[in-house]
Amino acid sequence: MKTSNISIKRFLRSKFFMVGIITALLIIFSCVFADKIVKYDPTLPDFNARLLAPEWFSKGLHGHVLGTDALGRDILARLLYGGRYSLLVSFIAVSVAALIGCVLGTISGFYSNWIDMLIMRFGDIQLSIPPLMLAIAIVAVMGPNLVNLVIVLIIWGWPGFARLIRGNTLSIRNNEFVSASRVLGASNISIMFTQVFPNVLTPTIVYGSQALGGRILTEAALSYLGLGVQPPTPSWGVMIANGRDYLTAAPWVVLAPGLMLMFTVLAFNLLGDGIRDVLDPKMK
Amino acid sequence: MINFIIKRLAYTVLVMLGVSLIVFFIIYLAPGDPVLLILGDNATQEEIVAKRIEMGFNQPLWKQYLIYIFGVIKGDLGTSLYYNKPCADIIFPLLKNTIILTFSSMVLSLFIAIPFGIIAAVKRGTITDLGAMTFAMLGQACSPVWLGILLVLVFAVKLGWLPAFGTEGFKALILPSISLGTPLAALTVRLVRSGMIDTLDEDYILAARAKGEPYVTVVTKYALRNVLLPVITVVGMQVGQYLGGAVVTEQIFAWNGVGRLMVTSISRRDYPMVQTCLLLASFLYVMVNLFVDILYMYIDPRLRIRNNGSRKFNLSVINGKNNSNIDKTSFKQGI
Repeated sequence: MKTSNISIKRFLRSKFFMVGIITALLIIFSCVFADKIVKYDPTLPDFNARLLAPEWFSKGLHGHVLGTDALGRDILARLLYGGRYSLLVSFIAVSVAALIGCVLGTISGFYSNWIDMLIMRFGDIQLSIPPLMLAIAIVAVMGPNLVNLVIVLIIWGWPGFARLIRGNTLSIRNNEFVSASRVLGASNISIMFTQVFPNVLTPTIVYGSQALGGRILTEAALSYLGLGVQPPTPSWGVMIANGRDYLTAAPWVVLAPGLMLMFTVLAFNLLGDGIRDVLDPKMK
Repeated sequence: MINFIIKRLAYTVLVMLGVSLIVFFIIYLAPGDPVLLILGDNATQEEIVAKRIEMGFNQPLWKQYLIYIFGVIKGDLGTSLYYNKPCADIIFPLLKNTIILTFSSMVLSLFIAIPFGIIAAVKRGTITDLGAMTFAMLGQACSPVWLGILLVLVFAVKLGWLPAFGTEGFKALILPSISLGTPLAALTVRLVRSGMIDTLDEDYILAARAKGEPYVTVVTKYALRNVLLPVITVVGMQVGQYLGGAVVTEQIFAWNGVGRLMVTSISRRDYPMVQTCLLLASFLYVMVNLFVDILYMYIDPRLRIRNNGSRKFNLSVINGKNNSNIDKTSFKQGI
């Protein structure tokens, strides 16, 4: 109880963590409760309201706060509904990549034999292909849709987690508490997941929170290239791509999603830095 | 040293064989027949059969791979379905443009990032430091897509100073270089600053200062050399990635490079060209990494000595477990 209190205090004292978590939660809640915040449909065109300039809060939340796009769709609505896709895709991709990386990394580091060689060499080979190019090629061949986008981001992410966990497992597996478990008759699987894994969890959380920002940017890049979320479904990358043609007449169409993207990635990067500072100061 | 290079080269060949396997089988990820994927849904049965024989799809898979890989070794990278010419004839002229863009963005980012990072570390806690950290954080959080479009909006559309797109002339190079170089500069500022702060606390720096060396000499001669090691790793990896095609930047600025060729080849369903782009990008990436590892040995005498004495260390370097492991892993993952 005392230890957890100290940890909470340390988190509360970390400026990076606090700014990161508050901004991230604000963005997540705004996107999740988008239907309660904005009254406009993010996909329904309104040709009477094409390229309207931002009205800010002159009509409260009932006007077009951030203006409208070329099809008369409310930018704020598209921003918040689009955030759902961008955030969900990144969360799922990072979580599954972390899970695969943790299992393979722990097995690899624990056994340190031909299985280790096989897993790590495969990871090395995959990391030798520039990740964005590999992602583009796979999505292009498999077809651009949400599921394939998530699969590609998982493929992108797992070797990083596996390498990290393997390295940490290697340094932990010869510790006395692991030997003690073995002497007491614990099986390899039990040692891996009850003794080793909890000890490599901290670097995984730190790495995962930093990876989130990266995946959000990747999702935006792929969607911009037409290989991610498909229109009319809103996503920040799609919004930037759509707004490009109206740069002179309506710069807000591009500015809004770009700024939202930047604040979101910044929030997760700060969160990652904050968690690292508190949980693992050695990684600083 | 020679031993290390030979082992590292052997490992590179192994990795490239693995990469070629992935590149070769990528087309089989597509649901359905790859020939249909290439020809489109309107192809007649005769066309499908003829294409299948032409592309060797009637052969067993292992034989197809062997034909492909021996072709690559002999310099035959396949034939583009769109241009109906060897892929090598199309891709190599464009590689020049990609190399120009990569190096100009690298030079630009290092030119800004290294002095900025050093000053931020030396004047820690001042407004300059705050500025450097803000730049580093925003630069890393900013989407390259958005930054590129923003640069077009300000410098091409509003001010009319620079062309919005194209590959001709020095002026056309400026915006893509800034767009590509900014995230790298942001990362480098952060690396130089944190490395410099750690290094300036070392005893040998205190000793150099106690000897009466001027502070500027201490920083640039003694501290910077150590700080540059992780910077070389990170910049090397990034340059390796860009050399294979800075896909997004080339697409935004219509820069006629390998990355843009890859994206246009995808929309044209020119899969042999996509495979060639991927293989060339990986080859350049792996070669730059090899060069960086060898450069590392030259710069850091500790690595040379350890490497001569211990086989174990060779393998650890090959496995990417050297000092810069965290940076490398994080960076490869685009964090």
